[in-house]
Amino acid sequence: MSNEKMTEKLKVIGKPQPKIDAGIRITGKAVYGQDIKLPYMLYGAILRSEHPYSGFSIDVSEAKKLEGVVCVITADDVDCNNISYRKDHPILKKGEVNCLRDEIAAVAAESKEIAVQALKLIKVNYKPGHGIYDPFEALKPEARIINKYLKDTGQGKNISHKFLYEHGNLDEEKRKSKEIVSNRFVLPRVTHCCLATSNITADFSPVTKRLTLYSSTQVPFLYQRDMAHALKINPSDIRVVQVVIGGGFGSKLDMYPFEPIAAILSMKTCRPVQIIFDREEEFIASPTRQAMVMDIEAGIDKNGRFTFREANIVIDNGAYTSWGATTPFVMMQTFSSLYHVPACRFESKAVYTNNVYAGSFRGYGNPQATFALESTIDLLAEKLGMSKTEMRLINANFKGETSGQGLTYYTCGHKEALEMVIDKSKNQNSEFGIRNEKRFLFGTGYASMLHVGGGAKIYRSDGCGTRVNLDDYGHLTIITGSTEIGQGSETVLAMLASEELSIPISKIKVINTDTDVKPWDVGVHASRTTFVAGNSLLGAISKLKIKLIKKAAEILQCTIDELIFVNEEIKSEHKNNSVRIEKVVREIHFSQPNELCTENFFYEPSSEFQDKDYKGNVSGAYAFAAQAVKVEVDTYTGNVKVLDVYVAQDVGKVLNPMGLTGQIEGGVLMGVGYGISEELMVENGRILNPNFHNYKMLTASDVPNIHFYPIETNDSQGPYGAKGMAEAPLIPTAAAIANAVADAIQARIYSLPVTPEKILKALKEKNIKHK
Amino acid sequence: MKFNVISPKTKTDLLKAMKNETYFRFGAGYTDLIPEMKKMEDIGYSIINLAQLNDQTFRNIKRGQDVIRIGTLATAAQIVNDEFIAENFPVLHQAANCLASSQIRQVATVGGNLCTASPSGDISCALVSIQAQCEILSESGNLRLIPIADFFIGPRKTSMKNNEILRSVIVPINVKHHEVHSGFLKVGTRRSMECSVVSLAYHILTDKKAIIHKAGIAIGAVAPTIRYAEEAGNFLLGKNISSIHPDDSELFANEVLKYASPISDLRASAWYRSEVLFNISKSILE
Repeated sequence: MSNEKMTEKLKVIGKPQPKIDAGIRITGKAVYGQDIKLPYMLYGAILRSEHPYSGFSIDVSEAKKLEGVVCVITADDVDCNNISYRKDHPILKKGEVNCLRDEIAAVAAESKEIAVQALKLIKVNYKPGHGIYDPFEALKPEARIINKYLKDTGQGKNISHKFLYEHGNLDEEKRKSKEIVSNRFVLPRVTHCCLATSNITADFSPVTKRLTLYSSTQVPFLYQRDMAHALKINPSDIRVVQVVIGGGFGSKLDMYPFEPIAAILSMKTCRPVQIIFDREEEFIASPTRQAMVMDIEAGIDKNGRFTFREANIVIDNGAYTSWGATTPFVMMQTFSSLYHVPACRFESKAVYTNNVYAGSFRGYGNPQATFALESTIDLLAEKLGMSKTEMRLINANFKGETSGQGLTYYTCGHKEALEMVIDKSKNQNSEFGIRNEKRFLFGTGYASMLHVGGGAKIYRSDGCGTRVNLDDYGHLTIITGSTEIGQGSETVLAMLASEELSIPISKIKVINTDTDVKPWDVGVHASRTTFVAGNSLLGAISKLKIKLIKKAAEILQCTIDELIFVNEEIKSEHKNNSVRIEKVVREIHFSQPNELCTENFFYEPSSEFQDKDYKGNVSGAYAFAAQAVKVEVDTYTGNVKVLDVYVAQDVGKVLNPMGLTGQIEGGVLMGVGYGISEELMVENGRILNPNFHNYKMLTASDVPNIHFYPIETNDSQGPYGAKGMAEAPLIPTAAAIANAVADAIQARIYSLPVTPEKILKALKEKNIKHK
Repeated sequence: MKFNVISPKTKTDLLKAMKNETYFRFGAGYTDLIPEMKKMEDIGYSIINLAQLNDQTFRNIKRGQDVIRIGTLATAAQIVNDEFIAENFPVLHQAANCLASSQIRQVATVGGNLCTASPSGDISCALVSIQAQCEILSESGNLRLIPIADFFIGPRKTSMKNNEILRSVIVPINVKHHEVHSGFLKVGTRRSMECSVVSLAYHILTDKKAIIHKAGIAIGAVAPTIRYAEEAGNFLLGKNISSIHPDDSELFANEVLKYASPISDLRASAWYRSEVLFNISKSILE
């Protein structure tokens, strides 16, 4: 069926649908981790190191004596496996601390206040040493070993994870190049700023020996496995109940020490234990986006076609490793495959330091890579004397392309997206360029992005299970393995089911929070939920429909191919008679074949694992986007005002325009913050701004005009043609802002954020040169 | 966190509480006090809560013949909504309007902004530029009046004694003039919830021929206290505001800069603060 014809017939898909959980959230009925109160619950608190690198001895005897304290633990009291993706992270540290977050003791007490007071009674004798805070220092031959727990040290001293990727003939392409640019880009630490701070409530039952965790994890099944490994218990004895999650953005992809600590305290006391971070602790003790230094060399031939790219990247891993150390998987895709490029060499090292450790964050390395690459493209265009938009258009990715890395674009809206934002940003808005006093300068910048849009086959399975149950009253329950972290996926699932079965959304429930109930899913990441969980749901529904239609054909005495679902009925198109779906369900249930209308389905995307050289078609689909940004720069203060952001994104197919717009706007604003204001400042391992006062997260008054143009390429792999879209809007924004600022002030800032001070300095240096 | 709270309803109750308590802090809007208390191990003092005080001298903005009397419990929002202030003292209106966020402006008080004595206090900076006076009430009920420039003696330090409370600020109504050139420039990264990195308050009165006959200039976040840049103001006297030579603008900016002794901190370097102060100072004459 042609796209137009299909769209015409759709009743739910493509129509704006408020999130099905909006009501409970705005009325305060949603149960966040902070709202959990269990009978006999204790309050946990963690003592963290005062020094980023130090030996220590600890005495908890006074804390234990405090009335109301039920349990105090240190490393000596626990028998656990190390955690993290590289198993290099002890839950409680013994004898030595390696970063400021390090957990050295924990308390469970009758009240929060008592727990905090008990922490103060713990005597710690520190012997601070000289920490290593610069990854380049850590790479020097004389540097000491920072993380002593990493077993596989084959990657080199103080290297947690190294990636090397190549395609094409680099030397030949260098020779072909008319122009080559080579630059260093520096990226800051930024943090997620989830509105709900980190939280966990652990409830161990001494009777059943089972552990229930009320958790905000994004990856409940991996979490269950990781927790079991850490605590040396059976994963099936752990039930993960996900609370309403007040922001994830990747921060809840890993399990962190506070979570097994709560579990241990509960196992030791046989009472529920809750740990909730305050805001300062959240800033200090939750993971950040990777700070990194990127050396990029790239070339272009005389016709403006890209020849090669070479990227050498040093990532500040911090003291321990998280999933975030695998962000080069994504970064290398951008260097190897965003715009067509014949040759690419990519090398990255995640290097241990005594800084706080990095984690995963929406975009997963891609905002960093895109900033460096898109800045480089502007520099190449300037050097060749070619228009920046023209250069992007002639090198754009295309449908049917298989990139050097082996990514195959069955659909690709890259060029269309570029053309859209170039065209739309030409029509100047009212503010742009009006204040033409010499004080204000105006500029436009462009950037594209490529990201996985159909899951990412990194873990052994990238699948998702779904169970659907249609009850005797015609209401549908969807039990999905996938997780809602505010992104709106459960609404999209309900919409898909509603479209398929003609059952109104009000009669559809989505159950997605309990590992004892829901089928397996790898977790929320890689913008995969709509694509993978959507396809999984459609698989289950298709089985359900077959069952219903068989019975309906019996009832209506017709053939199954003439039946359609409409208005909660199954209708014969020829005979013009119909039967209510709920009646069909009851017939199946209460007479032959005496079955329930319940079906299971597990969907595994058709994507491939990459080989040892990181080549292969890793995702079921790829998302493309382009953004154009217009800025006003105040040359007196260096302040950047982001006026307009034009976003064109290949989303495959718009499923819920309202949810989509929300994701685009939220993502863009996160990107603007990354571009101009946010930075978690760290000096000698200490965080200088662990508060919203000095961590400059933007506010509602900083929101620019966001113009969104969805591009529908109807990917045959996606549910109704949709691709993943949720990380994308953040990815090119900072890059486009930096390009716009460079366009305005005719000088380039090679690091983020592009702060007023950097701009004023660049202007000053430029003026000195001109004089 | 345990501490004692006393909530006087009348001036008499207030003075009594001030006499009875040895260690106390005043709480009005609590926008600074609560974050401060959160950092403390033990509070160690009582809170005299002013939120329920009914005394109108503390609460109102009242216009007299020669002065406006602003009670220190007046909120930033009250200042923003006062039409007379908006028309005659744009500097004060603008300063109040860019303080923190709309929500915080509903509770943050003029007295809190002054008594916190932050070098980057926005309302404080505006009040310095218009040479307000501080009316201070002692526990024995005595009143004294001091120029606001003498009120700030260091970062987070005022010239008030332990047994005193700031009751009102008194703003002299503009002398005879033809036009008011007045405004508040706040430099920071965000457009709200921002603490000034550099601020400049100016309040300039001109006659019919656009000749400047009164000029108050104050600067914030560039010295240990908010500074009244008296010589910079004097430099402008007698000049025609509509035709100031660019060289004079720069000379003026240099005069302003003489009052600055900025430091480098998390939010900006001393270099940046000086550059920006110079630039925005000259901008008010462009």
